[in-house]
Amino acid sequence: MMLSIKNLHAGYGKVKVLHGISMDVPKASVVTLIGSNGAGKTTTMRAISGMIRPTSGEITMGEGAQSKRIDAMDSHKIARLGLAHSPEGRRVFATMSVTDNLILGAFPRLTWARPRGDVNADLERAIDLFPRLKERRHQLAGTLSGGEQQMLAMARAIMLNPDLVLLDEPSMGLAPILVEEVFRIIARLKDEGVTMLLVEQFAAAALNVADYGYVLENGHVAAHGPAGQLKNDPSVKAAYLGAS
Amino acid sequence: MKSAKPVKLAAAVLGLAALAIFPIASGNPYYIHLVETIMIYAILLFGLDIVVGYTGQVSLGHAGLFGVGAYTAGVLFIKLGMPFYVTAPLSILVTAGFGAILALPALRVSGPYLAMVTLAFGTIIQILINEMDFLTNGPMGLKIPKPIFAGHSMSEDGFYWLVAVLLVISMIVVHRILKSHLGRAFEALRDSPIASDCMGVSVYRYKVYAFVISAGFAGLAGCLYSYSEQYISPNTYNFELTILFLLAIIMGGRKTRTGAILGSTIIVLLPKLLDDIAMFRSVATVLAVVVAVGAVVALVRKVTTLQKVLIPVAGTAGLAIFSFWINALTDWRLTIFGLMILLVVYYLQDGVVGFVRKIVLHGRHRPVTIKTDELSGEGHDAVIAIRSQGTENIIDLRGILMQFSGLKALNNVNLSVRRGSIHGLIGPNGSGKSTMMNVLTGIYVPTAGSIDYDGESIAGKTSSKIALSGIARTFQNVQLFGEMTALENVLVGLHHTFKANLADVGLMTPRYRREEHAARERAFSMLRFVGLEAVASEEARNLPYGKQRLLEIARALALDPQLLLLDEPAAGLTAPDIKELVAIIRKVRAHGITLILIEHHMDVVMSVCDTVSVLDFGQKIAEGRPADIQADERVIEAYLGGQAATHA
Repeated sequence: MMLSIKNLHAGYGKVKVLHGISMDVPKASVVTLIGSNGAGKTTTMRAISGMIRPTSGEITMGEGAQSKRIDAMDSHKIARLGLAHSPEGRRVFATMSVTDNLILGAFPRLTWARPRGDVNADLERAIDLFPRLKERRHQLAGTLSGGEQQMLAMARAIMLNPDLVLLDEPSMGLAPILVEEVFRIIARLKDEGVTMLLVEQFAAAALNVADYGYVLENGHVAAHGPAGQLKNDPSVKAAYLGAS
Repeated sequence: MKSAKPVKLAAAVLGLAALAIFPIASGNPYYIHLVETIMIYAILLFGLDIVVGYTGQVSLGHAGLFGVGAYTAGVLFIKLGMPFYVTAPLSILVTAGFGAILALPALRVSGPYLAMVTLAFGTIIQILINEMDFLTNGPMGLKIPKPIFAGHSMSEDGFYWLVAVLLVISMIVVHRILKSHLGRAFEALRDSPIASDCMGVSVYRYKVYAFVISAGFAGLAGCLYSYSEQYISPNTYNFELTILFLLAIIMGGRKTRTGAILGSTIIVLLPKLLDDIAMFRSVATVLAVVVAVGAVVALVRKVTTLQKVLIPVAGTAGLAIFSFWINALTDWRLTIFGLMILLVVYYLQDGVVGFVRKIVLHGRHRPVTIKTDELSGEGHDAVIAIRSQGTENIIDLRGILMQFSGLKALNNVNLSVRRGSIHGLIGPNGSGKSTMMNVLTGIYVPTAGSIDYDGESIAGKTSSKIALSGIARTFQNVQLFGEMTALENVLVGLHHTFKANLADVGLMTPRYRREEHAARERAFSMLRFVGLEAVASEEARNLPYGKQRLLEIARALALDPQLLLLDEPAAGLTAPDIKELVAIIRKVRAHGITLILIEHHMDVVMSVCDTVSVLDFGQKIAEGRPADIQADERVIEAYLGGQAATHA
């Protein structure tokens, strides 16, 4: 397992959001979280990447002898283990250029906390994924439109050369034509062997690209199974996939 | 939290009783004077907290304002022989005036610039007091006796009680202000200035208000200080005192009255404490024990890690050991003082009060301030129906050009929106849709072109004016007032319904009570309108994303708008949530409100819009009925694509 979660509880102050969820993300697979608003999708991602500290439960990253508990670890240390998070709400570095945002995504590589590889080549590759970013590479990230910032957040996550990527609503605020593009990119990364945990407003499209899915309801795992199976599950269809 | 009320009440009564009998019980004039000083500083800190804690601004000018208050009282007494009941109100007014003089130019800037300007102000005041010999007697200072009532000079105890009464009154008034629509405006502009302006709460104006009110309290404190010390001289009101005031707020805890009192106690007593080695030893020991016990409790409850508590525990233990090792304090006083401050500022960023709350009330750190069960929200129509008369088009844009240095974000765009319709605005990312929203709401002033709203030009008007004229909006990247509850967020939107002024709030007049009650009822019914009544007392930042978007709609509707701009309301929503949203949008339109809708979810656009305009590279490339737009070749190429991914 690339990522393994056992009985995770987490929340914000007095608000408890997750009430003991367990899930596994196998290596080189795409797993998607499905659920309505407030079910705990984003909270799960935040707990994994250390943005919030779980109240109890175990989160383990990596396989076999190299596996590490990350539930009490600081975010920057988790990033060094090869976990990238493209967060909800983008959170780009507003007063830095698009290029600098992307280079910062590779920060653990620049400090040799991760294998360095060719950062410049990866920069070109990340920018090629989104031609729109190429046009704006010298612009300050804060002056980009919302959708462009969303692309930047995803590209920045990829710059880590990550073993595991958390994608929280990568298509949010994107024009329909770019939504397709985002799903194409996800499929491409999957082919390259990147493990992904995906939360998507277009749940049906997410199940198409994913191998496995978990349905969250009020902070519990209500159902899980292979993506193809969930997609055809009548109750999942009715509650989350809409009529189309 | 039902049990908290009697406990609080009992604590308040006990505190007041202790305060009242203290002079008789202690009988020691030195201690009476100390407590008096603490109370006077606390009055100033109540005011300073409005600026620092609530509006989130920094002031390094409050020692100067304190000096203005003290010298107003002193000069009025020395030169004109005025009695206390004249000098006190005048001190408040004059200092508030100085506060306005400082605030009007200074609050155009913020952050470090604001700090520098207020610092300069404080310095200038001190120099002026020093140089204006004819008024202030320069460096020699002024001697003032205790207030004289009916020919008798007040006794030390009498004056103590006077200060105590004024402290309690100040506390009540500050508390009322902060719980009122004014206090909500202060908090709102700290959490999101842009949203405040778009809710008709002018950020600049309310920053100035906050500063002026704060200065008034500094004036009262200054006046009391001059009678308390019976001698004032310029060098009291120096930079060090300003820093001490800020430290008191930080150490005591922002946004609490208890914190202000505690902070003032610390800054008055700490230097005295360091005068006496025996006292210092016992306090250092107690402190070390308290911190160690606190750390153990926190560890057991798993709110912290060993690493994080190691340094404070070691630090306080070290301080205790050190206190027994040294023989005399004199050489070490300043160093110890500095170290203690460093420790507190670094480890207790929420102040002592905030820290205690976190430990004691772990898991329920903020008491619920709204009694929602008293609110029914019924019998109030949440959204006021709009008369559908006037110009045929509610808004007309002609030749709008918005240029950012080289970039033309909007290039010669014409847009007309029919009254009562839902007008969709779509286009690729970065095509200028959100820029259009910002131009419409006055956040950007267009480089060229005209905007006519309801037959009147609004180009160049401020955001808050435009908002009050009936254009409300939501934000693509949610701009809620995070530290405020859902209900309070909507209440900020209802700010325009208040006619009550500062005096109404301070005195709790029937007019203010009536307005506040009506606003709460309406705010609650608005939450019900968007289906959020269950989370009314939840802090906005703790709500899930989709609910935050709905809350933004409720808040915008509170403005009683004629035109509502929704910027990607469906972003991040799954299919069932989108259905709810569409229902809400239709309900809003049914009330006669015109909507402009930016959205990428084509199913939403197609199902609710009457007309759709398409932007690309800042230009309008198509406009028409939704079905025609969907079939338009250029729109498909630039924007829609094959739609394969979304229709799996």
